[in-house]
Amino acid sequence: MIIGTKTASLIVSVCILLSSAQAAGTNAENPPSQSEQPSNEWTIEQLASSLKEGREPSVVFEEETYSSLLTKPIVARGVLRFSPPSRLEKDVLEPSRERYVVEGDVVIFESERKQVTRTISLDDYPALRGFVEAFRAGVTGDAALLKRHYETALSGNRRQWVLQLRPRDPAGQTMLDSIQFSGSEGRIDSITIRLPDGDRSVMRLSRGHAP
Amino acid sequence: MSVRRWVPALWLAIMACGLWFVSTRLSIHSELGDLLPEGSTATQRLLLSQVRTGLSGRLILLAMEGAPPDELATISVALGESLRADGRLGFVGNGMQTWSKAEQAVVTGSRYLLSRTVTADRFSESSLRRALDQRLDDLRSPLAPLIKESVPSDPTGEVLGIVQSWSGWDPPTKYRGVWMSADHTRALLVVETRVSGFDADAQESIHQAIRARFHEAASSSGAPARLVLSGPGVFAVEIQRTIEAEAWRLSTVAATLVLLFLLVSYRSPRLVLLSLIPISSGIVAGMIAVHWWFGFVHGITVGFGIVLLGVVDDYPIHLFSHMRARDSAHAVMKAIWPTMRLGVLTTAIGFSSLLLAGYPALAQLGLLAVVGLLTGACVTRWVLPACVSQGFAPREIGHGFPARADWSRKGSVLAVIVLVLATSALIWSDTPLWEQDVGSLSPLSDDKKQMDQRLRQELGAPDVRDLLVVEGPTVEDVLVKAEAVMPELDQLTQSRALAGYDIVSRYLPSHRMQRERQRALPERAVLERNLDAASKGLPFAPGLFTPFLSGVEAARSRQLVDRDTFAGTMMEMKLESLMFPQQDRWVAVAPLRGVADRRQLASTVEQWGEASVRYVDLKEESNRLMTAYRDRTLQLLGWGLAAIALTLTVGLRSIVLVGRVLAPIVCALIVVAAVLRGSGEPLSLFHVATFLLVIGLGLDYALFFNRVEGTEDDRARTTFGLLVCGTTTILVFGVLAFSTIPVLHAIGMTAACGSLACLAFAALLARRAPHAA
Repeated sequence: MIIGTKTASLIVSVCILLSSAQAAGTNAENPPSQSEQPSNEWTIEQLASSLKEGREPSVVFEEETYSSLLTKPIVARGVLRFSPPSRLEKDVLEPSRERYVVEGDVVIFESERKQVTRTISLDDYPALRGFVEAFRAGVTGDAALLKRHYETALSGNRRQWVLQLRPRDPAGQTMLDSIQFSGSEGRIDSITIRLPDGDRSVMRLSRGHAP
Repeated sequence: MSVRRWVPALWLAIMACGLWFVSTRLSIHSELGDLLPEGSTATQRLLLSQVRTGLSGRLILLAMEGAPPDELATISVALGESLRADGRLGFVGNGMQTWSKAEQAVVTGSRYLLSRTVTADRFSESSLRRALDQRLDDLRSPLAPLIKESVPSDPTGEVLGIVQSWSGWDPPTKYRGVWMSADHTRALLVVETRVSGFDADAQESIHQAIRARFHEAASSSGAPARLVLSGPGVFAVEIQRTIEAEAWRLSTVAATLVLLFLLVSYRSPRLVLLSLIPISSGIVAGMIAVHWWFGFVHGITVGFGIVLLGVVDDYPIHLFSHMRARDSAHAVMKAIWPTMRLGVLTTAIGFSSLLLAGYPALAQLGLLAVVGLLTGACVTRWVLPACVSQGFAPREIGHGFPARADWSRKGSVLAVIVLVLATSALIWSDTPLWEQDVGSLSPLSDDKKQMDQRLRQELGAPDVRDLLVVEGPTVEDVLVKAEAVMPELDQLTQSRALAGYDIVSRYLPSHRMQRERQRALPERAVLERNLDAASKGLPFAPGLFTPFLSGVEAARSRQLVDRDTFAGTMMEMKLESLMFPQQDRWVAVAPLRGVADRRQLASTVEQWGEASVRYVDLKEESNRLMTAYRDRTLQLLGWGLAAIALTLTVGLRSIVLVGRVLAPIVCALIVVAAVLRGSGEPLSLFHVATFLLVIGLGLDYALFFNRVEGTEDDRARTTFGLLVCGTTTILVFGVLAFSTIPVLHAIGMTAACGSLACLAFAALLARRAPHAA
């Protein structure tokens, strides 16, 4: 039980981290050249390659968490950072300082309020490793690998698209319902993560500096 | 000649019965633990019971190497799964083990009794507010799904706290979900057997099963991986098998050499066969006696016992050496019997010191040797002559054979010179006189010991060496004391005097502590009020914490947790290994990891001023134990010598003669000690025990050298016989001295040197050939 939920939470955290890294990697001011010529087909391959274009070191986020335990959503704000090749960081600044770092195969968690630093190895969770690798494939533009791990559905067009991922693996399905990315061109605007029990979190991303 | 018929027939019949008994009824044990002493102090008894049945003795460390890390991980997963299905194994750890439902239920149900953080303040408004804020953090964090489920029933996070404090040791690094060395060259597993690490047979079958499962797992993955097993049980099996194999192999080589030598000396196969009659009778009788007295015979006793009983072979040799065509065997026997009888008696006294040493291994050996010796002598006296036909003369000793050089004057001078040299070597040698380290007696190679250390470090498995021992009349008493010790140990861990520790009270709080926690739990109304105040302004759903309120209420009157609560869980085994009854008391042992300075730690623990809490260095303690037995054996050796001197005085009726018989032996012992020390070998219990054998041999030589014999021919025959005896003994033990096993080497070296020195000194110091009376 404990192990199961832990895995799920880690998967979710890694999903967020990795997906936001992609967001951080987009460059809104220099859209990819293809965007000038509208094309009939907007494929995952194209999306992956335009997400891959260019890299920004950090992006600001605001995340709303909806839980059945709560009467209203709780909000967190902070910065996402990506340092090539594989360091990803979610730095929560409000309401209290918390940091999650995925570096290589290790997740580091720091909390100011709890005064703890914990290191969790991705290797503890082989299932999770699959997710990470899938996401890394995304970062490096390997759409084929992404499709192997997720059922993918891309809707909309280049200017306004929504990518929905559902884990193919039955074990993954018990931990995660879906991840939905929405964005425009090579930029991700928001990420919605839905858990099987109906709880969800919505993260909005914007370029800029931390408050 | 009816005697010539019925005596051998009777012997054959008895021997057949004896052999039948030995082959069908005798239980030959191989558990090394059976040979361990009981211990004379409480600490020693504890040490020995730990060694026999303790957790650290039951751990097997496994390493798989020689394949890429991905394949090693696959093999480890498969191996772990198949080992967990084996009922002979308790805990199987490779990084994938999880808590069972039963354990989760215990922890969740008794969280307010088990958690170290439960105090009255824990449920105040301000503490609750802090806890609720943290839960909000949790819910908005990516770790939310981990916490979410437990928030309504456990908003203060007790279960998480218990889980964290229970995983008290740093696990190895992981790769693909399984434990692996930091450089990813070795996948690591740890297995706990239910049987003692010293039960070599049971251990061996488990090791075989592990190897077989590994081969299944490895062959299905197709990787060329190797499996390395280590740990006390593995070593026990290896030591056992090595000793057995080497004892038997060397005995076979030695026996072959002796038989060949006898054949060359007497040129009669018949004689060689006849000489086997006393020794074989002695071995069978000795084994039956040991079985009757101890209830079992240890394999190692049999191996060593046969070597010790090699002395018996001297008796038929004496008989045959004195046989002439015109004499009957009975007459010859009658003539040499008084001398032989005295030799047998005094040797038996020497061997019986082993019996009294209080060390089961030596006691078995002593009984086997004494009974075998007496039986062999009696068979030589009464059976053997009946088997020899009238006028059987194995070999005429040539007239050229020197009867005996009259060396006594020059001999004394030579003896004194040798003695002075030996004594000075003994005094001024750099080698320590006594072996202080039991470990040096272990036949394990340094490679294996280092591998074990490395695996232990990588796995973070407890060292077998350092323990904190807490004693008390009842379980409750021990737990209360252990709880008092924990903060001290935490402090030592923080100051890096320790790397870590495990203790029973980490898992099982005393009833006193649990009642204290129950008293700290507020009444439902109070808790509800505090909670309402604390959650003011926070977005928690109304009524969300009802499970928490009723959980705390139930805990106030919940049945206290005790050892039975954990019955049937993995924790039960852990608790049993950390706390157990010892005679009429209860003992908790806390294995300590990474002790920085043992002396410092010992004095720190002493300063706590609690008599029932002790620090025990198992290695130091086992050295002390060994030393105690060595001293006891030495003491017995002294008494044995006194008893021998008394017997000789009665038998020889001459103080001068007693001196002549004993002097070569004492000289020989000094020379042997000097040779051993000069060659850089400190003396151990086993050297001392072998001194007894040397005394036995030396008595035999000295008595025969000092025998009153009429003719030149008689003396030539005695000398010939003694030379044959001496050579056979030196052959047997000389072969043992080449053993790679320290204990066997010690015995062989001591006995071979001793035999040579005894023979030489006895010849040098023997009285002048008496004038024909």
